[in-house]
Amino acid sequence: MTDLFSQPFEEDRQTPAPLDRRIVTVSQLTASIRGLLESGFGDVWVEGEISNCRLWNTGHLYFTLKDGGAQIKAVMYRSAVRYLKFKAEDGLRVIARGRIGVYEPKGEYQILCDHLQPQGLGALQLAFEQLKKRLQAEGLFEASRKRALPALPARIGIVTSLDGAALGDIIKVLTRRHPNTHLVIRPTRVQGDGAAAEIADAVRAIGRVPGVHVVIVGRGGGSAEDLWPFNQEPVARAIAACPVPVVTAVGHEVDFTIADFVADVRAPTPSAAAEMVIAAKEEFSARLDRQERRLRAAMASGLERRRTRLHLLGSRRGLAGFPARLAMSGRHAAELTHQLRDAMLNARTRRERELRTLALRLEARDLGRRLAAIRGRLEGATGRLHAGMARRVDRASARLGGTVGRLESLSPLAVLGRGYAVCWNGDRSSILRRASGVAAGDRVHVTLHDGELHCSVESTESTDTQIPSRSSRAS
Amino acid sequence: MDPTIKDFESAVAELDGIVKTLEEGDLALEKSLELYERGVQLARFCHSKLEGAERRIELLNERGEIKDAPPALGLGPGPAGTK
Repeated sequence: MTDLFSQPFEEDRQTPAPLDRRIVTVSQLTASIRGLLESGFGDVWVEGEISNCRLWNTGHLYFTLKDGGAQIKAVMYRSAVRYLKFKAEDGLRVIARGRIGVYEPKGEYQILCDHLQPQGLGALQLAFEQLKKRLQAEGLFEASRKRALPALPARIGIVTSLDGAALGDIIKVLTRRHPNTHLVIRPTRVQGDGAAAEIADAVRAIGRVPGVHVVIVGRGGGSAEDLWPFNQEPVARAIAACPVPVVTAVGHEVDFTIADFVADVRAPTPSAAAEMVIAAKEEFSARLDRQERRLRAAMASGLERRRTRLHLLGSRRGLAGFPARLAMSGRHAAELTHQLRDAMLNARTRRERELRTLALRLEARDLGRRLAAIRGRLEGATGRLHAGMARRVDRASARLGGTVGRLESLSPLAVLGRGYAVCWNGDRSSILRRASGVAAGDRVHVTLHDGELHCSVESTESTDTQIPSRSSRAS
Repeated sequence: MDPTIKDFESAVAELDGIVKTLEEGDLALEKSLELYERGVQLARFCHSKLEGAERRIELLNERGEIKDAPPALGLGPGPAGTK
């Protein structure tokens, strides 16, 4: 073995280059590699997970595809990105189709993708899930955002194709259920490239039309591709931003689109959407009827309550109390009757007594045989009076009114009719018995059979107290 | 139309309020009669609005113009009767 360092320096040796040795530049080499790679692979399909995904301002998408053991840089140019239904993002497992290319300035090889498709899910499905997740995170599906359909839409806005079955279905239902309906239709394409933007424009435009208080957006049934515009973000955003409630009706009952999630109401079909819009009006009409009934009932019950209260008040101290008062008054009347009867009895007793006294005095004064003759009759009259009075008084309470008059007519003073007079003092409180009971100038009253004399005493003169010595005039 | 009623929505709101107030009771008789009459008036207004619309089908074009739709679209005669 010769020691390397024992060899002479290279400069010193004239070692000839091998005959096959060709020296190339880096560029030449890279170009050569590029040629090999690009021609050697052609189109490849490669599966892997996306990482380091970045969408540049230029619109090109850069990412890395990797698996457990290796990674490869990838780029997707704007022209291809445009057709990507879903959003490429880190962690997504995809199958990429493309060519292998070499980026010479950096000496890197990469795959130039012209198509990406998600693994597992279809691209549309993935796009759907992605947008749904994103809008949901923004809160656009919240129930609190959902507005009630107006009861009285002055105009109903419709966004759909003039050619589709949906429009006919909607008009048929609306005019059948409620003939006097005012519709404003904003025609739009509902499928194909650019349809989403058109639909979004149409929703924005019709939402601004005065009097349009509700909008129906939709189309008839079709393939997932046909319905695709309704799964696109611009449509969802336009619906979410619409100033009036939006009813979506896309395809058939089983078809759910992003637009449906954002809409205020999702109808299974266009016909159903029309039914719902009209139902709101009919429900409202029914509610109005209920309100009217409640109004009447409240008024009626208010009146009834008042009537009852009035009745209660009445029974407490008002009208219904009147009978009690009458009863009391009745009792009072009975008492009065008794008092009156007592008073009459007293008066009778008093007058009887007075009469007896008078008679005794008349007798005592011995006015002569005439007087003796009338005494018997007087006594008879007194007896009759007594009996009569007794009978009368027994009936007095029943025949209060006439009794006093009868009493008067039966009074012992009736004898006055025979010429006797009774003389009363000035205030009629007592009968004068003695001439000395009055003085000259006093007023006295003389009761005659048919009236009264109101007299002034000119003078008084006492006679013999026992037996008048001579005839005297009855005063 | 009654000048004291602004629009359908406010009429509905007012009617709701009146029904509640009346149902709660405890109003002077004159006041409740007054509310009741107002309520009936509002309900009539709402009914007339609900029934009063006219049938019409229009198209909104891309320039923002609104025009009557061709009769064929309405599955029958277009705007019924007058205008």
